[in-house]
Amino acid sequence: MLLVPNIILSLGLMLILLCAQSGLAQTSQKETERTAELLATLLDAGRVVVEQNQPLINDPRRGDKGFSPDVFERLVLDEFFHQAQIDLKTSSSSFPPHAKDLLTRLLLASKEVVADAQFVINQRGIGYKNFIPATFGSQAARKFSKQSKVTIKQTTLDPRNLRNAPDAYEETVLKRLAHQPASTSPLVEWIDDGRLLRAMMPIYYSEDCLTCHGSPKGMLDISGYPREGAQVGELAGAISIQIPVDHR
Amino acid sequence: MSLCIIKRLLGSLVLTTLGILLQGCGLVYDAVELIHPLNRDELSSICTRERLRVGIAVEPFRPFVFPAVYTDEGIRVTGLDIELIREVADALTLYCKGPTPIVPTLHVTRFPDLFIKMNEGQLDLFVSSVGGTVPGTRPTGLWFSAPYFRDDGIAAIIHNPEVAERVWAQFRKQNGNRDTLAAVQGGFAGLTIAVQKGRPAHLYAQANLKQIRLVICDSIPAAIEMKDLPIDVILSEHSILEYVTKRVWQDWHPLTHTDGTPLMLTHADLSIVTSDEHRQLQWFLNNLLFRLEESGRLIQMRRRWIEAEYAPTRRATAEGLPLEVTQVPDHYDQGQCRLAEGP
Repeated sequence: MLLVPNIILSLGLMLILLCAQSGLAQTSQKETERTAELLATLLDAGRVVVEQNQPLINDPRRGDKGFSPDVFERLVLDEFFHQAQIDLKTSSSSFPPHAKDLLTRLLLASKEVVADAQFVINQRGIGYKNFIPATFGSQAARKFSKQSKVTIKQTTLDPRNLRNAPDAYEETVLKRLAHQPASTSPLVEWIDDGRLLRAMMPIYYSEDCLTCHGSPKGMLDISGYPREGAQVGELAGAISIQIPVDHR
Repeated sequence: MSLCIIKRLLGSLVLTTLGILLQGCGLVYDAVELIHPLNRDELSSICTRERLRVGIAVEPFRPFVFPAVYTDEGIRVTGLDIELIREVADALTLYCKGPTPIVPTLHVTRFPDLFIKMNEGQLDLFVSSVGGTVPGTRPTGLWFSAPYFRDDGIAAIIHNPEVAERVWAQFRKQNGNRDTLAAVQGGFAGLTIAVQKGRPAHLYAQANLKQIRLVICDSIPAAIEMKDLPIDVILSEHSILEYVTKRVWQDWHPLTHTDGTPLMLTHADLSIVTSDEHRQLQWFLNNLLFRLEESGRLIQMRRRWIEAEYAPTRRATAEGLPLEVTQVPDHYDQGQCRLAEGP
């Protein structure tokens, strides 16, 4: 007689546990997606800061430019706040706890890149130094990815550096993005039966980019690469992020 | 077991006795070393180390060494000298037959310090578009290889065309008996002439141009930037001046003859420098340079860097070498200029 309520109770408990697990898994997925978005935003913030400081970095009349890793960090945190409305300087609860660790590591990798580049940046008498968003981003992404299960990469359909060439997945998404209206939010997808998150945050050409990537198409820019003939608002490429489900 | 202990004791006894008997006998060691070197030769050391320690000057001598730039791979330097360093490292890799290639590590320092570092044994060699045929350029203890860049020499660049007129007027006075030194001495008299400290052009000016105001600069860019003391003429290697006046400082012009051909003050060939004691490395370098010349590779390098159109930054990305960042100064400053003391 007592058997029936016991079975019902057990089934109920199992159902509750399953629901909770599925809820947790969904929360975890959402957190990972948010983490990918924030990582892409932080790398982009670094690129923006490097772009905004090109006149200073390339000033041949100044030796020590004062563009130190600490100054860079302050500027990046401001830019990140501007883009994501999150203050990384304070322990905020508005983003996943695990994201904090990854964001800190990416920030450290970015600062290391700026530190490594000090010799080049502070050369007096030398104008263009090629410390630009693309070279900064490549190195920061590589440094970060070396120390993490999470992979960050800058990619584009027609890369100047073949190491930034897209893989099959990235190529498909880039082609799709090229035909869509501009958007700042990343494309996010779980692949391999939910074992791997792939996120692609599009980057679009701004006026500043066109000095090297604009018209006339084919004419060499200051660094010796043929200009792409791009226009403001066109897709330049994407920040590609891969986060395996067991990345923690 | 006991036999082994006795052997060890006997060995120690012999060594101790020899140590006592030969105390202060450095000459005996030197004599043995001379007949049968006890230490490894420098080539074996490079092979064991798997690194070639190369010095290059921090002052950019375009197109031999371009200023360091940042690339997707980090800081890189490029130029004709860098391509040559790659050739030397590749040849050493073949020579060493080791499991891993010989990696050239660049030690970047001020030009005058290259000689000091070489003498102190901190470098295996240095390449810095330096010629050993100008008197005074070969400090004691250093050896200059066969040329890797022939028919270069000291030339001049000017800001004001009147300087060329002054020199041409001197040539005209010579009625066809051309004497460049006399024409330059007369034409440059009273002018302010800048050179980079310690370079062959500095030695040339010191020895031959007595009627000038000589300004000694830490680098050629420092001479270009000089405002307090207007510079009339800058002397340096012809190939460097030709490149920079075409592509970097276009308001300066090479001093030429009236027909537009370059006016060379003296000839110089550029060499690799190593220690006078590195006999094995010296033969290795000379044999390599002979082979590179024979195969047309040196000419090809010359055309690639001197004549072809290219962007140094792109070449730095594709083929540049990294710097030993710990070896470089905090930041490169092209330095200052000052009037030379005395006549």
